[in-house]
Amino acid sequence: MTHLDTDVLAEFRAGLITGRRGARITAHLAGCDRCATLDDQLAGVSVLLASVPVPALPDRVAQRLDTALAAEVARRDDAERARGDGTAESPAPRRPRGNRGFRPLALRVLAPAAAVILLAAGGYGLSHAGLGSSSGSTASSAEGAAKSASSPTPPAARRANAPEAAPAGITGTIVLVPGGKDFSRAGLAQQVEAVLHAPAASTTRASGQLLGCVLGLAGGHPLQRVESIRFEGRPATLVVARTGADDTAWIVGPDCSATDPHVLAMTSLPSGISGP
Amino acid sequence: MPDEDWPADQELLRRHVAGDAEAFGELFRRHRDRLWAVALRTLCDPEEAADALQDAMVSAFRRAADFRGESAVTTWLHRIVVNASLDRLRRRAARPALPTGDEQAFESLVAQDGDPARATDTRLDVNAALRLLPPQQRAALVLVDMLGFSVADAAAILDTSPGTVKSRCARARARLLPHLAHLQGNRSDSQSVSPGQGGET
Repeated sequence: MTHLDTDVLAEFRAGLITGRRGARITAHLAGCDRCATLDDQLAGVSVLLASVPVPALPDRVAQRLDTALAAEVARRDDAERARGDGTAESPAPRRPRGNRGFRPLALRVLAPAAAVILLAAGGYGLSHAGLGSSSGSTASSAEGAAKSASSPTPPAARRANAPEAAPAGITGTIVLVPGGKDFSRAGLAQQVEAVLHAPAASTTRASGQLLGCVLGLAGGHPLQRVESIRFEGRPATLVVARTGADDTAWIVGPDCSATDPHVLAMTSLPSGISGP
Repeated sequence: MPDEDWPADQELLRRHVAGDAEAFGELFRRHRDRLWAVALRTLCDPEEAADALQDAMVSAFRRAADFRGESAVTTWLHRIVVNASLDRLRRRAARPALPTGDEQAFESLVAQDGDPARATDTRLDVNAALRLLPPQQRAALVLVDMLGFSVADAAAILDTSPGTVKSRCARARARLLPHLAHLQGNRSDSQSVSPGQGGET
């Protein structure tokens, strides 16, 4: 009898060869050290593979997924809102928000963003509230801020209430300042600084796509401003986030999304330019 | 008594379909480590795996209403991730092999498994060996041997028969053996044989 082929032995081990042919292989293995060793080694392949640790999801991939999920939630909200009062797709009542411990990470990030952007509308002096925290414990405060985004509350009152207030209501929304100022590449930091010092006259709700774009850029850092601008004559969006020692400003194109930021220009600002 | 898996996956999916903005996130977070492992092992490329996992997540989010409950929710999620991964493999089939930079990126990512000092060499060899397998064999072997799915569950995920899963796994193990035998300890050092040299009995 010749020795067993590896493929045949592997199929035998997997239970694919039975009956008389299987019995012949069993008999051969009992009397052939070489093939018995090969059989052991084949078993060892599975043991070895099972011993390789399951890789943990890297933080940056987790963050990316959270951002994409937040954009999907916002997109669905947009679609529902476009159909009516937001209940068209919901035969069952929505779960009251804020009464459970779990909340997707992206929404935790989103919440301070809503607070900060809202406050930015009130001017430079108000933009510190709610900064520097994106942990789960801030979810409720962010919810309050997000809720206030849809209320007629004056900016000063929003600032006072934003960090702690907050019964409920995260909506997957950030507020966009419809500025419209034309930026150029030369002296970009100074132009951004000037905008951040100027109070916003009005605000509007950002689209789901822009939401994903902004959260992807900020990467969990507190947002300072999202403003609709022009860049060298073309429509664009200014995004400013407090990214550590310096603040970072991005100018992105209209097709910016969670997966493709389409950054047209980028600059750093000295810490504190965009807030006290 | 508190149950960390409560509410059940299927209930979370039902809530998501009904409009609950948080249910899908809770569901996906439960399973995403293993879903990541499936994508990463199947694609052997962290960037492609991240893309596939995101594509799959978005697809599951949007297609949740299509889930009929004929399998476990986790099986359904794994199937979407495997399909997204295999789609990417098909699309890149004509492209050249991974450059060195991607190899290094792969190791930098898989090293974040909380056990950086252990099994690094094994991972390197296993990752390199997995790339030698045809995608369908690799997907089956990853599910059964690396992630511990039963043959029946793997068959449900891969939408094929248990016999096909067994066959793919058997061929994959035979193909990997020459490349992994040296990692099997002293036994293989002293007694290893050259696989594939024999004939049918």
